[in-house]
Amino acid sequence: MTGQAFFVLTALADGPRHGYGIVREVVELSQGRVKLKIGSLYGVLDRLSADGLIEPDHEEAHDGRLRRYYRLTAGGRRALAEEADLRAASAHVVRARLGLTGPEAAGAAG
Amino acid sequence: MNGDPDLEQRYRRVLRLLPRYYRDQWEEDMVAAFLDGWLTGDPDEDSVTMEYDRPTREEIVSVIGLAARLRLGGTGAPRRYFAWGQAVRNAVLGVMLAHAVWGLGELALFARSRHLIGWLPPPVGGFWPELSYAIGYAWIVVFVALLLMDYRTARVLAVLVVGADVASVLHQQLAGTLASPLANWGYVAVIDLAPMLAMAAFHRDAPPVRRLPWLLALPAWYLLVSLPVLWAELSGHDAWVPDVAGRCCILLAVVCLFHAVKVWSGRPGTGVWSLTLLLLAAVTGLYRLISLPTFAQDPHLLMVGLAELLILAIAVATVVPDAVRSQTAATVPLGYQELR
Repeated sequence: MTGQAFFVLTALADGPRHGYGIVREVVELSQGRVKLKIGSLYGVLDRLSADGLIEPDHEEAHDGRLRRYYRLTAGGRRALAEEADLRAASAHVVRARLGLTGPEAAGAAG
Repeated sequence: MNGDPDLEQRYRRVLRLLPRYYRDQWEEDMVAAFLDGWLTGDPDEDSVTMEYDRPTREEIVSVIGLAARLRLGGTGAPRRYFAWGQAVRNAVLGVMLAHAVWGLGELALFARSRHLIGWLPPPVGGFWPELSYAIGYAWIVVFVALLLMDYRTARVLAVLVVGADVASVLHQQLAGTLASPLANWGYVAVIDLAPMLAMAAFHRDAPPVRRLPWLLALPAWYLLVSLPVLWAELSGHDAWVPDVAGRCCILLAVVCLFHAVKVWSGRPGTGVWSLTLLLLAAVTGLYRLISLPTFAQDPHLLMVGLAELLILAIAVATVVPDAVRSQTAATVPLGYQELR
């Protein structure tokens, strides 16, 4: 799973979001490291929906335009949890190799 | 308010790069998300934004990247886009194969310089000739990296190789040793730069390449074509040997005719290989065409070059109907239908 897909799935973990809502949430989750452009976002969304990891939730009118909201599917939630475990295990191995222990090292993972 | 397009219309123009089936599905959503990022809710400020702002370069690049992935489709893409994707991937591999065969020839010269092969002429020394040999070896690595699906290595190395080739041609031009600047820069554009850019077709959705036939093609081409040609040149029979562009035209014409026999004998496939041959014929034809001015002083060679072009055109015409067939019946894959 790419970093972008990981953050998009994470952005949808606590509830449905529309396109720009996902962009904003990803910026916040990644502490500004991942700034998705719209073309990249929809490349990720269309791949995740084709893989059955996300699905449309509902549509809302806003300023005369329809915002489509997306949500995680059960498969998406499972895939995200597995990816989070994998990344946490990898981070643990790296910290151990670097001799980093303690809460400040744990907090730096991500 | 004048008749100029506003920000939304400018962004929709950029989105026209995307295939229609994709725009039907996602365009409104993309426009809404895009404008959400620009508009503040203040009518005056938003009015100025809509009138004067334009999609940023990064936004446009992201749409171009998405368009390349969709139009050069991989697994799950609609049939016509999958066919284009496969044809471009095959054509890139074909050009890389030709480069790798040349690299293999350079390796043979290197082996000769180390007294491993006795009958080959020794290579010319110096920085620029040695850079040329290095470029040849690097093309072999690019070819193998593509087959091993290590696309990142292939792309990075291809960029370095093309950069080195550009530097080499530039050096020759500045030194005044370039016989035909138009032809040499044309070669760089047609057989280096264009295939390098077309490597965009090797994205994550690209299906795995069938490695064995391509790997076998490398020694087969070298042993069956390059070595006999080298032997003919060394034994003084080079008047009968076409130049590289001519050999590529004839070789591709033969492949087209074999493929046409297969297609017309009632065993048509998906049309992807016919489309591949069409693309390769375009590259090879251009390669031949831009090299013709170097024969300006020799009407006989000019006629031979034109004859090679004609042979290629006739041969490739036999696969055109099958190539057109690959573009019919654009089905929409699962996933897009579900979201409608």
